[in-house]
Amino acid sequence: MEYVNPLTGFRVDGRRPNEMRQLKAEVGVVARADGSALFEMGNTRVIAAVYGPREIQNKGQQVNNKEALVRCEYRMAEFSTGDRRRKPKGDRRSTEISLVIRQTMEASILTDLMPRSQIDIFVQVLQADGGTRSACINAATLALADAGIPMRDIVTSCSAGYLCSTPLLDLNYVEDSAGGPDVTVGILAKMDKVTLLQMDAKLPMDTFESVMGLAIEGCKAIATYIREVLLENTKRLEYQRG
Amino acid sequence: MVGLSEGEKHFIRGGIAQDIRTDGRKRLQFRALSVETGVIPQANGSARVRLGATEIIASVKAELGKPSILHPDKGKVSIFVDCSPTAEPTFEAPFQDVLIPGRGSEELSTELAVALQRCLLGGKSGAGAAIDLSSLIVVDGKVCWDLYIDGLVVSSDGNLLDALAAAIKVALSDTGIPKVNVSLSAANDEEPEVDVSDEEFLQFDTSRLDPSVIFDMISVAKHVSQQFIGVLDSEIAAAEAEADE
Repeated sequence: MEYVNPLTGFRVDGRRPNEMRQLKAEVGVVARADGSALFEMGNTRVIAAVYGPREIQNKGQQVNNKEALVRCEYRMAEFSTGDRRRKPKGDRRSTEISLVIRQTMEASILTDLMPRSQIDIFVQVLQADGGTRSACINAATLALADAGIPMRDIVTSCSAGYLCSTPLLDLNYVEDSAGGPDVTVGILAKMDKVTLLQMDAKLPMDTFESVMGLAIEGCKAIATYIREVLLENTKRLEYQRG
Repeated sequence: MVGLSEGEKHFIRGGIAQDIRTDGRKRLQFRALSVETGVIPQANGSARVRLGATEIIASVKAELGKPSILHPDKGKVSIFVDCSPTAEPTFEAPFQDVLIPGRGSEELSTELAVALQRCLLGGKSGAGAAIDLSSLIVVDGKVCWDLYIDGLVVSSDGNLLDALAAAIKVALSDTGIPKVNVSLSAANDEEPEVDVSDEEFLQFDTSRLDPSVIFDMISVAKHVSQQFIGVLDSEIAAAEAEADE
């Protein structure tokens, strides 16, 4: 299948190889949560809700009582994918992604400022069109900021692939299921550190460098957007306070 | 969830006696309802309903299936409810080996799904159903439409049942069932060939679905003490405390 048109250079959805899908973010969508956010990357829509810091519910899970316990659950709605899924929670992919998001966010949260407490991050996928992992991490960052949880830096994530000898930024579902390599990167934007790096399939090493570089560029663009959204949100709160 | 003190309960009950609730509404007043359709493009029909801070997303998916032997002239409808942990931290799936105080959302989801099923599909004989199942048949006894209705609770601030019912009603009215062409040349005992059109859709008939019936029936059943229609969680706690006394 022609993922990149050889004549025009356009992808299946009309984007250029280094073009990201349209981003849209909204903060404070779940009224009862301490912090929440809706994040859209093209047709992938994800809601993240943060409850915390609050009292530890289960002492058995607490490993270190000088730090906060960060917990995460990733769920996909039954209508999120093209074919209706059954058993949207508890399957291996959901468990793995929950773990990945938790570890990524934990790297940024200043957990030693909140000992003996727990922070719950719940991510719900409403629509899945590739890049759900990245959308979830971006949504979680916004939700944590909305909850006022202290973090080292904004964590953003983006994916990139390599099809028809071209590095492609922000794969959608069609491109992702093509079987080519899929590199997901998560970075701490200002600190310029990589906190998540995952890849499927195989790539020659120098091509990998360029694909990863492209994904990092995408992450930085998302970080700029997230910062704008947070700034606007703060201005709105300031205005409401009078 | 934070508990209520005696003083707060007294305050709430006193307010209700004077027809004023904690958010300023009258006793029989609903919260502001906002409705959006077509939120899930890949579903046949979808809706997003907000009742105050309660937010529900409902989607309807239609697939071809075989009708049951008992009702060969009727299609099938199944309703599922999923309470997302984003709504309440206690909705999180409990781990198998660790005891967590909340039971997870299984019980609540099942309870809501069964209540909605009874409302929309009627009792065992199909009496009192709001959805006309015979409109879902394609070929008698062989091919019918299976509707899968999924309700997702995104945010929970009381009165999930009414919001879910409203969301399902709106999603069904937004549902388009694809037109099918059945080739009649097949022999009687063979599976007929069904050609599902990608272009044309028939709007699902929801003229018999009366939302006011759903609202009143469900709300009254849930509240024994007084005629409340809209509910906030603090009011549920106050009513339960009164029942305990």
